[in-house]
Amino acid sequence: MPKKQKFLLRAYIVFAAMFVVAPASNAMHIMEGYLPAGYCVAWGAVCLPFLAAGFFSLRSKIKENRRNLILIAMSGAFIFVISSLKIPSVTASCSHMTGTGLGAILFGPCSVSILGLLVLVFQAVLLAHGGLTTLGANTFSMAIAGPLVSFGIYRLCCRTKVNHRAGIFLAAFAGDLFTYCVTSVQLALAHPSEAGGVAASTVKFLGVFAPTQLPLAVIEGILTVVIVIGLETYAGPELRAIGFVDRRKEA
Amino acid sequence: MLLIDKLCYRSRLRYVNASEKLLYAAATLIICIVSRSAATAVPVFLVNLALTVGKGGIPLSRYLRLLLIPAAFLAAGTAAVAVNLSETPMDAFAFPVGGWYITGSTEGARQALTLCLTAMAAVSCLYFLALNTVMTDILGALRKWKVPALLVELMLLIYRFIFVLAGTASAIRTSQVSRLGNRNLKTGVRSFGAMASSLFILALKRSNALYDAMESRCYDGTICVLSKEQPAKGTGIAAILFYEAALLFIWALAHRYAGV
Repeated sequence: MPKKQKFLLRAYIVFAAMFVVAPASNAMHIMEGYLPAGYCVAWGAVCLPFLAAGFFSLRSKIKENRRNLILIAMSGAFIFVISSLKIPSVTASCSHMTGTGLGAILFGPCSVSILGLLVLVFQAVLLAHGGLTTLGANTFSMAIAGPLVSFGIYRLCCRTKVNHRAGIFLAAFAGDLFTYCVTSVQLALAHPSEAGGVAASTVKFLGVFAPTQLPLAVIEGILTVVIVIGLETYAGPELRAIGFVDRRKEA
Repeated sequence: MLLIDKLCYRSRLRYVNASEKLLYAAATLIICIVSRSAATAVPVFLVNLALTVGKGGIPLSRYLRLLLIPAAFLAAGTAAVAVNLSETPMDAFAFPVGGWYITGSTEGARQALTLCLTAMAAVSCLYFLALNTVMTDILGALRKWKVPALLVELMLLIYRFIFVLAGTASAIRTSQVSRLGNRNLKTGVRSFGAMASSLFILALKRSNALYDAMESRCYDGTICVLSKEQPAKGTGIAAILFYEAALLFIWALAHRYAGV
C-alpha cells in the first residue's frame, strides 16, 4: 500500500473510532466555541424578533390564566427530558430526539421559540449539549427554523386532508432535516471552504453529518407519530387544554 | 440521573459567589472566542482543568469522559473544515478520486487545529461553570442581573420539573426494560412512544395538582425562596480581572511575535 493510502486509511479509522468511543449526542447542537464571535452575535440578533414574539405571547397567556405558567414550565421540562433520553437507534451509538417537531405540533411555533431557548440553556449547562456562545445559532436552527417548518407542514397536511399520521410523520421528519440543513449552513458560513467557498462547505458539512442525521430524522418522525397516537388515545382533555385539538380543527 | 448536576453539588467551589464564577466563565469564554488562537486556548484549558479537577475536586476520569461528549461533533466538523474535494490538488495532501482530489492545504489544517483547541478551551469554560455552580445559584445571579422575572421564574420551575419527570421516565423505562421492552428496534420504538405519551399525561396531571397546591398556599406569581448569600469578595474579582488581563497580554504577545 502506498504511504499516502496508508495515511488515509489510518485517518479514516481514527475518524470512525471517534463515533464509536464518543457518547455521541447526535442531535445537531453546535458545540461551544465552534463559531467565531461575530456569528454568535449575529445569530443571536436574528433570533431576537422571534424570541420577543414568543415572550409577549407567553406573557399574555399567563396573564389570561396563571395556571398556564405551570403548564408551560411542565412542557419545557417534558421537551428537555424527552430530548435527554436515549432513543432506540439503528446505529450503535446512542442518539437523542430533538423534540422540535413534537413541540411545534403540540404547543405551536410561538411558544416553542422561547421554550426551546430555555431548554437549550439547560441542555448546555446540564448535559453539555451545545454551548452558551452558540446559543443563538442553536436557538435559530432548533427552536425557530425547525419548529416553523414542522408546524407549516403539519398545517398544510391537515388542510389538504393528508392522512393525519402521515402528516405528523412528515412534519417531524422535515423539521428534523431542516434543522440539520440550517445547522450545516450555519457552520459553512462560519467556516467557508478554501476550494469553492460557502456552497462547497455546506455540501461538506451536510455530507459529514448525514450518516447520523438521516436515520435519526426517520426515527424521530416515527417516534413523534407513536407519541401523538398515544396522546390522542389517552389524553383527549389534556390535548384540548394545550390547544392542540383546536389548532387541528381550525386547520 | 443528570451526572453534571450531581457532580456540581459535590464541588468544593460550590459555595463561591455565583456572580464571580459567571463573570470568570463568561469573560474567559469571550476572550477564547474572540482571540481564536492557540496561545490563549492552551492556558485557558489547563487553568480550567486545574480549577475544576484540582480545586473543585471533580474526579479526573469523570471530567475526561465528559470532554468526550462533544468529541463526535468535533471530529466530524473538523474533518469537514480540513478536507476539501477539489479539481486541483493542494499543498498538504491530495488523493486522486476519479477526476477529483480529496485534498487539503497546510493553512486549512492549521486553521482546523486552532479551531479544535479553541473549541475545547471554550468547552472547559462551560464545564467550569456547569460543574461548580448549582443551577439555583445561576438563577439567583440572573435575577440579580435583571433578566426578566418571567424567564427566571420559568427556568426555576422547569429545573424543578425536570427531576420530577426524569424520575418518572426512568421508572417507566426500568419496568419496560425488565419486560423486554427494548428487545429490538420495533419494540424499542413502541415502548419509547408509550413512555413519552404517558409521561406527558402525568406531567399535565401533576402540573394541575401542583398549581392547586401552590394556589392554596397563596401563590401570587412569584416564588420566594430564601437563598444563602455568599457575598462577592473583592480579592476574587481582582484575581479574575488580573487573570483576564494576563490572557489578553499573552494573546497580544503571541499575535505580535508569532502571528497566531
